[in-house]
Amino acid sequence: MTLLIAALPAFLASIVEFVEALTIVLAVGVTRQWRSTLLGVAAALVLLVVLVGVFGSALVLLVPIETLRLVVGGFLVIYGLQWLVKAILRAGGAKAKHDESAIYEREIAAMREEPPVAAIGMDWISFTVAFKGVLLEGLEVAFIVVTFGASAGQLGPAALGATVAGILVLLVGIAVHRPLARVPENGLKFMVGLMLTTFGTFWAGEGIGVEWVASDATLVALFAIFTVASLAAVWAVRQRLGGRHPVTAGRPAEGA
Amino acid sequence: MRYLRSFGAFWYDFLIGDRPELFVGSIVVLGLVWVAIRVGLEPVAAGGLLIVLVVLLGGLSIWSAIRPRS
Repeated sequence: MTLLIAALPAFLASIVEFVEALTIVLAVGVTRQWRSTLLGVAAALVLLVVLVGVFGSALVLLVPIETLRLVVGGFLVIYGLQWLVKAILRAGGAKAKHDESAIYEREIAAMREEPPVAAIGMDWISFTVAFKGVLLEGLEVAFIVVTFGASAGQLGPAALGATVAGILVLLVGIAVHRPLARVPENGLKFMVGLMLTTFGTFWAGEGIGVEWVASDATLVALFAIFTVASLAAVWAVRQRLGGRHPVTAGRPAEGA
Repeated sequence: MRYLRSFGAFWYDFLIGDRPELFVGSIVVLGLVWVAIRVGLEPVAAGGLLIVLVVLLGGLSIWSAIRPRS
């Protein structure tokens, strides 16, 4: 059970983030040079593994579990609510959904404006764009792996969940050779947001002195409460917007 | 200096982004429940209070995103 608790959120979050990273990698590889692109991907993955290993181990070894759960729980509540609120707004039609195909076309257009690829040697534009894309998307995964893994005492399973998701997305990406536009990204973000908010509330609560009435089984109740509240919020947003066009709710639309 | 600024901008975007009320609100919610326990609220009841406040915070953020602007 604890293995699943650590691995599942990391797995689901990783699918979302790696699908976004794959779009960038495909666009760079197709328009410029695959060798440099893949080297950029590899360099970013190595850096992510080092970051997870160093920070994850340091947290587990150096920080008392109560302090860890309070701080990590607080971060997870903040981060989980961000994912959840955005997913609710997208599901309710108040925010434009992520369109991997459109992002892919934009990336392709941007790459074509860059100077031509050198005939021999490294193409540093391919390397840098792929490196940045994978690193930035992967840092969100690393954050979830480290926080969940450290708090649940299951850093290995959390990292494994993320790795399996990464390999899965990579294999499907290689097979179809185009962005994975049909992955239900918003549904996954909704689920991850619910899980992060649930565990964040539970751990942060314990950290500030809350006693959960059903001990660990309270997690199920918390998940159910947040799910019902979120679905009600989606319904309320749809009612509020009525027949209006989906908008970005007056704030700049952005990634996560 | 440029790297420091980029590093700061990354973390700002990562944790605060376009919904600062969730960052500030989460800290306020946890602080309120911590104070409530210290002034005598039962720890079990504090759990209920925490859940209600988290749901309210999410609702407030959604409301602020969809409310009509003049």
